[in-house]
Amino acid sequence: MITLEKNVKSVKDVLTSEDIIVFEFDSLGGKKFAAIYADGVADKQLLGELVAKPLRAVEKDASLDEVKKLLASPEVKDGSKIPDAIKEVSDGNAVLFVDGEKNFFIIGLKKPPGRTVAEPPTQVTVKGPREGFTEDIKTNLGLVRKRLKSEKLQIKMLKTGKRSDTAVALVYIDGVCPEGLPERIEKQIADNEIDMVPDSSYVAHFISKKPRSLFKRNGTSEKPDIFCAKVSEGRVGLIVDGSPIALTVPYMLTEDFQTGEDYYAMSYRSTILRILRVMALFVGLFLPAIYVSSQLFKIQLIPFKLLLKISSSIAGLPLSPSVEMFLVLFVLEVLNEASIRMPKYVALALSVVGALVLGDTAVQAGIISTPAIIIIAFSAICLYLTPDLVETTTTLRWIYLIIAGSIGPFGIVLFSAFLVCYLVSEQSYGVPLLAPFAPLIKNDLYDSMVKANMYALKNRPEAFKVKDKVRLKSK
Amino acid sequence: MSGITDMKISVRQICFIMLAYTAVSKFILYPTALSFNSGRDLLFSSLIDFLIQGVIIWAVSFLCSRTDKTFFKLIEGTLGKVVARIIYGLFALFFIVATVIPLFEQKVYVQAIFYDTIPSLLIFLPFFAFSVYAACKGFKNIGRCADVCLPLFLVSMLFIFAMSLGEVNWQHFFPVLKTPLNKVFGGSLITAFRFVEPCWLLMFMGHFEYKKHDALKITLSYAGGALFTLLVLATFYGIYGDIAASRQFAISKISLFFPAIELIGRIDLIALYILEAVMLFALVINIQFAVHCIIKCTGYGNRAVLSLAVNGVLLIMLIFLNNSLDALLGIWSQWMWIAFVIFANIIPLLAWTMRKRDKNEG
Repeated sequence: MITLEKNVKSVKDVLTSEDIIVFEFDSLGGKKFAAIYADGVADKQLLGELVAKPLRAVEKDASLDEVKKLLASPEVKDGSKIPDAIKEVSDGNAVLFVDGEKNFFIIGLKKPPGRTVAEPPTQVTVKGPREGFTEDIKTNLGLVRKRLKSEKLQIKMLKTGKRSDTAVALVYIDGVCPEGLPERIEKQIADNEIDMVPDSSYVAHFISKKPRSLFKRNGTSEKPDIFCAKVSEGRVGLIVDGSPIALTVPYMLTEDFQTGEDYYAMSYRSTILRILRVMALFVGLFLPAIYVSSQLFKIQLIPFKLLLKISSSIAGLPLSPSVEMFLVLFVLEVLNEASIRMPKYVALALSVVGALVLGDTAVQAGIISTPAIIIIAFSAICLYLTPDLVETTTTLRWIYLIIAGSIGPFGIVLFSAFLVCYLVSEQSYGVPLLAPFAPLIKNDLYDSMVKANMYALKNRPEAFKVKDKVRLKSK
Repeated sequence: MSGITDMKISVRQICFIMLAYTAVSKFILYPTALSFNSGRDLLFSSLIDFLIQGVIIWAVSFLCSRTDKTFFKLIEGTLGKVVARIIYGLFALFFIVATVIPLFEQKVYVQAIFYDTIPSLLIFLPFFAFSVYAACKGFKNIGRCADVCLPLFLVSMLFIFAMSLGEVNWQHFFPVLKTPLNKVFGGSLITAFRFVEPCWLLMFMGHFEYKKHDALKITLSYAGGALFTLLVLATFYGIYGDIAASRQFAISKISLFFPAIELIGRIDLIALYILEAVMLFALVINIQFAVHCIIKCTGYGNRAVLSLAVNGVLLIMLIFLNNSLDALLGIWSQWMWIAFVIFANIIPLLAWTMRKRDKNEG
């Protein structure tokens, strides 16, 4: 005879933690039940309402089938193996044992604590939807389902992380997504075994063929509307439990110059903004390097009147132009890091101290010059116009600065040529990183640096080689 | 499989190469040399070369419509594998020789326009790091780089012409064709070593899918490249007249007299720096072909090793002959043009005589 105590003990022997609660109750007919759940993760109120309440009211000795029918929860699964019960309890669901029965019920009561849906801090929009992903995968999938009601929408649930057992949802539209792509991504994830996956950035590394590269191989989004738009273009989306940042592949570099708002605003305005972002990126990347190299190697690059201004402000400086620029950039990076890590109000004070006291005093003391501060400040602002590329561009800015200080302008050109040569060979799941520019894909240019009118974007991106090419039909 | 696709290139990309790389490879000392030899009729000297090369390019691209074989397969099918390997070995040597003058020119050009004072040779040596990396890549990479280079080329040329065309004095070209013809033809002959474009097309043969009118597209693109070169020549001579022969680095000199430069500084340098990126790719393409030919010749497939070897040879040459550009130019213009005529003109035409289809093919 299988006793209730024996089943409960089997689970508790493995899940010894004190937050694993065993809730035992009897029905009016004398039948004993035990529900096991993880405190704080499972919804206790629902357990009482949908499980305990109907079962307590039973006056006769109900069979297992009758018990199942009485359970008011919409998500009830049968279970027979104790390891399954342990896994489900760890996952946040409740397991219901019935006295005298080997089999048990898994009741979907998972409700981990988390924030409510709010506007994401990294992708704020003035015009357009304001909902953002949260850390809860179910909420996030709900946000996706809300927008993509197609019967072709496929959500494949995967697990990764040896100990964290993190859920990953592979989202794609059948018939639109390139054939075999979800399977390739699934395999990439399965090929990696790690203790814990706390964030989607881990999965981004798993699915990247070159995880050590300076350039990422996946797009990111914190907004379900952008995520769904990318999925409907033929990409595969990945939502990782515990992370509000969803991933999309294949990825093209041009994606990071686009924002969700581009698609809600007038196409002319969007085009201007995209060009502005590209220009800002180049200015942010090259300006400090060109300033240093022109001072050191090619003074003719600087207009004469500006040269006079610069020479008056750098007169008497103890540092060489490259060391000066390094120092200012170093201070900027320190201030940037400190303002992110410090508590909000301290960070506010810090920025005042950094910007006014430190900068102004350093200039007045004659340690650094005003143009250097202006250039680095402007460069920093410019690079934040493409926030998704900041990790790459800020690193590249350091490299360019080193090259400018040592080799000079030729080094800048040479390294740029090297980057072009490198980037044109790189790809993300078969899609060239520099598409639609290299290789040139004429039709995809309408949604690259230029954002054409919606009616010019009738087809999905050719670069993805999707099965269903047509996106828009209009009479 | 990846090896095969790495060697694929599109006709569009070949056209871009013909347009941009043809032009930029003739912007440094070619205008000076022509001004010296042909004087005010330098355009005719250049035109002769471009016309000859244009016909050969048309012939090679038209040959591509008759066969989908690579040049190697074409030789192999007609003369056997050993001969094919020998010819490719000679082509590898030829591409290395073809790189020498552009490499030395590039070095002096970089030293002159990127730096206020002539820097040490060391400044130029990082080029070989780039070259080693680029030469490890296949034709696919060459094509995609051309995709990036064409807009850079067009934008910078537009910028440079906008700053220079207004300063041209067209009277410098009159009276037309008064220069002795032997000087005009001599100018064509001694600059013939700068024309290797038919060889590029020969190497691309069989690596792209030929469609109707592609021969015309490729030839017209080459004509476009020629037009840009002729425009630079005309602007250069039109601005400097007879003293053009003593002005080096033509492309960096033609926009010098733009009135705004005095106010806003050498903004033309920005265009020149952008153009320099295109020049680097145009220079490296010969090294890439040299590596490709050695692979075919030896059957040894490690591109990295071969790229290191080829670049190593060029690096040693550059170090030992650092200040010998004038001597090299003398040798190349007096003697080496023969090799260029054979490899870039005669062999591409001879390709027509080879068996275009196997016996079992229809």
